[in-house]
Order: sequence, then structure tokens, then C-alpha cells
Amino acid sequence: MSAAILAQSLVKRYGDFTAVAGLDLEIGRGEFFGLLGPNGAGKSTSIHMLSSLVQPTSGRAEVCGIDTQADPVAVRQRIGLVFQDSALDRQLSVWENLRFSGLLYDLPLAETQARAEHLIRLFGLEEKRDKPVGSLSGGQRRALDIARGVLHRPEVLFLDEPTIGLDLPSRRRIWRFIAQLRAETDMTVLLTTHYLEEAADCDRVAFIRGGRIVLQGEPDALVRDLGSDIVEVSADQPESVRAELEAVLGPARVEFETLAFRPPRHDAAALAALTESLGARVRSVVVRRPNLNDVFLWVNQ
Amino acid sequence: MKARPGLWRPVYAVIERDLVKLWRQKGRLLSALVRPLIWLFVIGAGFEATVGGGEGSYRSFLVPGVMGMAILFGALLGALSTVYEKESGVMRMLVIAPFAHRWIVFAKMQAAAISAVFQALLLLIILAVLGDLPAHTDWALLALGIFATAYACAGIGMLVAAFSKTLDNFAAIMNFVIFPVFFLSGSLYPVGNLPGALGIAAHLNPYTYGVDLLKHALPQPTGHDSDFAWTLDLAVLAGFTLLAFAVSAWRFSREQAYAPLFGLSQRAASKAK
Repeated sequence: MSAAILAQSLVKRYGDFTAVAGLDLEIGRGEFFGLLGPNGAGKSTSIHMLSSLVQPTSGRAEVCGIDTQADPVAVRQRIGLVFQDSALDRQLSVWENLRFSGLLYDLPLAETQARAEHLIRLFGLEEKRDKPVGSLSGGQRRALDIARGVLHRPEVLFLDEPTIGLDLPSRRRIWRFIAQLRAETDMTVLLTTHYLEEAADCDRVAFIRGGRIVLQGEPDALVRDLGSDIVEVSADQPESVRAELEAVLGPARVEFETLAFRPPRHDAAALAALTESLGARVRSVVVRRPNLNDVFLWVNQ
Repeated sequence: MKARPGLWRPVYAVIERDLVKLWRQKGRLLSALVRPLIWLFVIGAGFEATVGGGEGSYRSFLVPGVMGMAILFGALLGALSTVYEKESGVMRMLVIAPFAHRWIVFAKMQAAAISAVFQALLLLIILAVLGDLPAHTDWALLALGIFATAYACAGIGMLVAAFSKTLDNFAAIMNFVIFPVFFLSGSLYPVGNLPGALGIAAHLNPYTYGVDLLKHALPQPTGHDSDFAWTLDLAVLAGFTLLAFAVSAWRFSREQAYAPLFGLSQRAASKAK
């Protein structure tokens, strides 16, 4: 069976600006894949190319074995895309938006209705069913955008920054919805986000930077490969203690008043002695488990 | 292989949504009717007072012109909603749906034309009640004229929509598209009276032929004041509609037509410039 998503040396240039500089991806059926990176790294442009909406400058892409440029309609038939910005019609109600979307996918009305009612219930939009989208909260609107994206039961779902701009409770709710959707279908999900902690549940993640993948793998393995705990030392004058610390802990990553270290091995006694000798010159010394953020930060070091 | 999705439901969806919105926007519907009536009463009466002529003769000359006006504004504003949809992002739902993008143009043109026909019918009823319809109205030709003019006007609107990125320049569109198209037609005066360049512009204006066709259908008691044969009118309108569809469809098959939808890439693009 062909891969759900395949990209080979995808490039997109706008004039002199290179948005995506040679993207290679192979995502298996049913996989939950995270494309991670800072704003402007080329995540959205990559999604737009994979979903047939933007023509690559060079390279090629396939979705479910179908070339995105040779047969864009067949590609769009198999995918759902939740854009970073809403695609909803604010003048229409929740139900009218879903009905409109169902018709665009040539679904019989009865099927749209059954599916829409299920999604409205799943996403807790019952009370807003007949209210205009303009009256929905940001989180509800995003939930409806996702419902719209999966109404036609796509084989591959693209989620472009699904939680951007939402408050924490809404973000958690959106993640619960996505988990529920994944539990009831076997669809492939390609997610982009710059909240790296949200990608911890992905089967695999890839870090994209400057339009190119710089690292990919399973989140746990990537964190494990980082090898050690992270030591964070905060001080009023970090530069004054940097040399002493680097002699023991290795090169530091400086972030405002904090120095972060990735010591080759964890030596509690040495760290205690070091803390002792620095005394009041440091405010705190914290040892913690690494996470995906650390992977990303050290990769970009 | 999955069966290809059909096109009837999507095209129907776009038309239905535009008509539902038109119906809900009572202000838009009302102004679509009031605008031509103001022209009929105010300009009609004003000109009659200025240039004289028989009682009601200029007003009756204006009847096909104001019918055309209702169609022109209805179809043009309908087609221009495409630009609003690009800006507000609703167009995302259409571009990601499984059909070639020329069908968006097809559906929006249908929607614009049908809502223009609907507005024309409402105006027709009012004109009939007011007694402004000529006794020898050719109903079949009128129906043909309304539809043909509506599609041609939807074509003008679609061409504008296909090439403009935002509605910020809506005032410019009013000034440089809608008003010239309206004034440089036979709506207010016979085209034959227009001198030089204006006359040429009027002959190049597809809407002129729509008004002319309506004049054939709504003949004045004083005799024909149409400028062309109705078959020529119909041929020009049909030809222009097809051309406008082809050009707009070509434009919409290119991603540049959707510029506002892909914010990030476009911001990046403008940064690069």
C-alpha cells in the first residue's frame, strides 16, 4: 500500500524567498505525524503543497499514491484540511456551514445530516447548532472548522496549527476532540504546531526550519537521544558564572538569565559541590527531564 | 478507485447559499429595487422637465434601462462577493473541495446571474403594478433578455473578481467599472447619439447589448429606439459570457487568484519583494 503522504524534494520559492527548501517526507497510513517548527519555517506552505492548493516550484508530492499535480481533485477528495485561519462562513449557522460543506463534497443530505449531528454532539456544539458562526467563541469556531474538515471522512487529515490563538482550556478541548476522532477512525493525521508539548502524542515528528527538515523521529526516542537530564541555572549575572559551569557541565545555552546545560552524564555529587562553590551568585539550580522543546532547542543550537 | 464526486450538489450549494444570503440581507434586496426606481422617477421626471417631449416619454424610454440597472447591479455585486469570500476566508472551503477550480467560477456566475434575475423579476412586478410596462411587451424576448443580460453582467463581475485581491478598492471598482458600464450603454440615451470615443466605448460595452435587447422586449409606443438587431444583441451577450467565463476560469485555476487565502506564503512573498 502506498504511503499516506509522500514528498520528494519539495521546493517552493516566491521570488527570491524560499519558503520550502527541499522537503522529504514519508508518512504511513494511520500515522499521527507532527511537523514542528517556528513561525515562518515553511509548515503551512508545505501543507498547501501537499494538499494540491499550491504548486511546488520543484519536486513532487503524493497523497494516498496520487500525484498532487497530476490529479489534484482526487487528492482533495481524500483529504481534509483544517486551515490555520477559519474557512467558515460567519453569516451562516453551525448546521448551515456543515450542510454547505457536505454538499461541496457531493454527500447525500441524509449522510451529511447524520454525520454533522454526530460531530456537533462530539464537539459540544449542540446549543450553537442554529446560531450564526459569528456568535461562537474562538474554541468553538475551531472545533467547527475541524468538524468541517472531517465531515466527509477523509483518509488524510491536515491540521495546520489547530490550537493557535486559543486559551489553555480550549486548546485542551481541541486536543481531546482530535484524540476522539483518531480513536473512531483510522485516518492519517498530519499536524503542524509550534507548541511542541502538543506533539508529544504524535507517532513521529519532524522539525522543520528554514524550509527544511532538520531532525525527525519518534518523540520519545528523540528525547531519549538527547541523553541526559537538563540542568538549568539561573543567575542575575549569568556570564559571571558561565565559565565555571561550562568547565563541569559542558557548553551552555543562554536564555536571558538562565543557563541551560546538557551534561554528558548525571553526577549529583559534582553538581552539589558546584552549587555549593557558586553560593549566592546563582539563584537556583534545577535538574529536570528533557522534553521535545529541549530537543528542538539543542538541535538549533 | 473512488468514484469522482458529482458536480450538481456543489454547484447547487453555492447558488443556494448566495440566494439565501441575498434573501436575508433585506437592505441589499431593498436597495436593489429602490435604486432603479429612483432613477426612473427622479431622472425620468427631471429630464422630462428639462428637454420637454411628450408626457412620460423619457420615463418610458428609461424602463428598459432601469430593468438593466437592476440586473447589472444585482449580477455585479453577486459576482463581487467572490472577492469578499477570498478576503473573509470562506473561499478556503471552496478551493479545498474536490472539484476543479473552474467550477467555482461556474457556480458563482450562476449564483450571480440567478440572483440578478430574481431582483429583475421583483422590479418587473413593481413596474407592472405602477403601469410602467409597455402594452406590447414581448414576454418571451424579455425573459431571454433578462437571462442573457444577467449572465453577461455576472461575467463582467467575475472578471473583476478574478483579478482583484481585496475589496479595499471597491470604490475604484464602482468608479471605473460599474458607472462606466452603466453610463456608456443605451440605458439613458440611444447609443447612436454618443459622440466619438464615447460611442466606440458604448459599442464595446457588452452591457449595451443587454439594454438593447431589453428595449426590443419592452418596445416604446413611439416606435423602436433600439440600436441593433436583437439577434446581434443575443450573440454578443452569449459570446461575451463564454469569454468572461473562460478568462475567469483560467485565472481561478492559478493559485495567484487566491492570494489572501494563503496568508503565510503571501506574507513571505511580499517580504521577498
